[in-house]
Amino acid sequence: MSEAETVAADSGGERFDGPTIELRRVRKEYESGAGTVVALDDVDFGVQPGEFVAVVGPSGSGKSTLLNVLGLLDTPTSGLRLLRGRDVTSLDDEARTRARKDAIGFVFQDFFLIPSLTATENVELPTLFGDDPTATDRARDLLRRVGLGDRLDHTPNQLSGGQKQRVAIARALVNEPAVVLADEPTGNLDSDTGAQVLEEFRRICETGVSVVAVTHDPLVTEYADRTVELVDGRLGGVDDRHRSRPRPRPREADE
Amino acid sequence: MNLDTRLDGRPRLDRRFPATLMAWRNLSRNRLRSTLAALGIVIGVFAIATLGVFGNVLQLSATDSLGDLGTQVVVSPNPEAGVETLTSRDLQEISRATAGKGTAVPLYTDRAVVTGPGTRTGASLYGTADPRPLFEADRGTIPASHRQGALVGSEVATRLGVGVGGVVEVDGTRYRVLAVLAESEGISPVSPDNAVVLPERAFGADGYDQVVIEARSGEAATDVARTLDTRLNVRTERVVVFEFGRILEQIGEFFALLNGFLLGLGAVSLLVAGVSIFNVMLMSTAERRGEIGVLRAVGVQKRDVLRTLLVEAALLGLVGGAVGAVLSVLTVFALWWATPIELAVVLVARNAGAVLVAFGFGVVVSLLSGLYPAWKAASERPAEALRG
Repeated sequence: MSEAETVAADSGGERFDGPTIELRRVRKEYESGAGTVVALDDVDFGVQPGEFVAVVGPSGSGKSTLLNVLGLLDTPTSGLRLLRGRDVTSLDDEARTRARKDAIGFVFQDFFLIPSLTATENVELPTLFGDDPTATDRARDLLRRVGLGDRLDHTPNQLSGGQKQRVAIARALVNEPAVVLADEPTGNLDSDTGAQVLEEFRRICETGVSVVAVTHDPLVTEYADRTVELVDGRLGGVDDRHRSRPRPRPREADE
Repeated sequence: MNLDTRLDGRPRLDRRFPATLMAWRNLSRNRLRSTLAALGIVIGVFAIATLGVFGNVLQLSATDSLGDLGTQVVVSPNPEAGVETLTSRDLQEISRATAGKGTAVPLYTDRAVVTGPGTRTGASLYGTADPRPLFEADRGTIPASHRQGALVGSEVATRLGVGVGGVVEVDGTRYRVLAVLAESEGISPVSPDNAVVLPERAFGADGYDQVVIEARSGEAATDVARTLDTRLNVRTERVVVFEFGRILEQIGEFFALLNGFLLGLGAVSLLVAGVSIFNVMLMSTAERRGEIGVLRAVGVQKRDVLRTLLVEAALLGLVGGAVGAVLSVLTVFALWWATPIELAVVLVARNAGAVLVAFGFGVVVSLLSGLYPAWKAASERPAEALRG
């Protein structure tokens, strides 16, 4: 698994000029009781650094599968998967886990915070197993950046839904990923709170991180640079409503 | 890193033992359930440790109080065969058989009323010319050759209120008290506490009532007993040859059986505890399916998840085992305090060993019980786990 090594070595977040993550002719099939189900059918998909892409589509269209394949949680049946230009199509579990830790952040509809850990500890979670002396400082910094400077040591049940999702966003960012993958990030939030979370995604994009959000929520598409539609495992119906937005600022300026 | 982060100064999450930290927090989440799971281990470890120590203490106390019985052989006439005393020929055979293997002390035995300065009391009488191998003095001295005077057992001395230099009267004859005998600490063929030892001439009988043989070793005792049995009981069971080592063996076997039984009981309770931990771990990992999926998704390796869950099971075992071991030690000391058990048989390495082994078993049982649930949870594909 030499690819695994290169992906790990690449974790520093050095600039790569192509798409952050890219699928080429990816097909994903499942065996089920009724026979073979094609969840993704010849999908070509790529996200540029700093780009916010919304993926919409009816239930069962393969949105979750797309997110799992993009997030290295699932392996394509065929096709090519590239992470910052490296082939990561068929890594073993350990290498995929390492690549996720280094390059991918996740945000879920149900937040999935660990209730027994404080906000800071939750943000540190991806760094917990391993020697990472600055992780706590990074975690606190990120929480302040998402407006939770006064909630650092609160446990999730002391936080509102919007606050929980902002903790989850901070957790997704703690290892300075190349891409953040969000599954219905506003699904459990009212529209005001949802808008705040989406503002947060926009700020993430400005630091050069790509965001892919799978959603039913039309609000998400308003904040996205680009919206694609997935129907029956096929990508199409691209809503080409590009927002005009400034080029991502260099990271140094942010700190 | 900016300045206020550094000034923040809150204690850091202990990053050196992330698995332990996560495991501890997870167990704290449902305290009642964790406590109940650990309680099973507490009971199991307590049972094994306490029963193990208890068996040890019983065995040690028994062998202690039986003392050097293992080297003693008693030859006495068999009244069922019509033999009332030992003949001089018997004595010759006995001294021949014991030559080089130990000492034989012939004894007269009787009961009589002993009169002191103020009161009188009943006591056993022993008559021997050679009391030293059988008796020990508490005060005064025991003569090498007993020709006059009396050796008085401690209980008799107390009842009569006599000491060394006093006078007791037995069957009309007055004897000066040469020594008060030490209290007997265990079981022995002669019981000195309620006895008065007199010179042989005090007994008018025509033969000795028993011979107590103190052999050099257990094997010598067995050998002497066998020789005497074949020489003296040629046609009829004229004498009874009683070897105390036999009893010791039987007692040993009995205690081995008892120990095995007690430990079996303890092991069953530990097994039940293991099943309960298995169940608790299965339940709690099923409840946390999504969380575990997130751990895996955000880049925590399978082995780290496995380790965290195993540490949870091990913590249940460690805490339960420690509490069980402490309870067991307390119980043993309470037992020592409340019963005549001696401290010497409580404070032996074998007892500490029993407690440690029980503790170790508790931890191992917990780990084994946690193994499958932990493996199952850690091995689930994160995509599946997150689907809920």
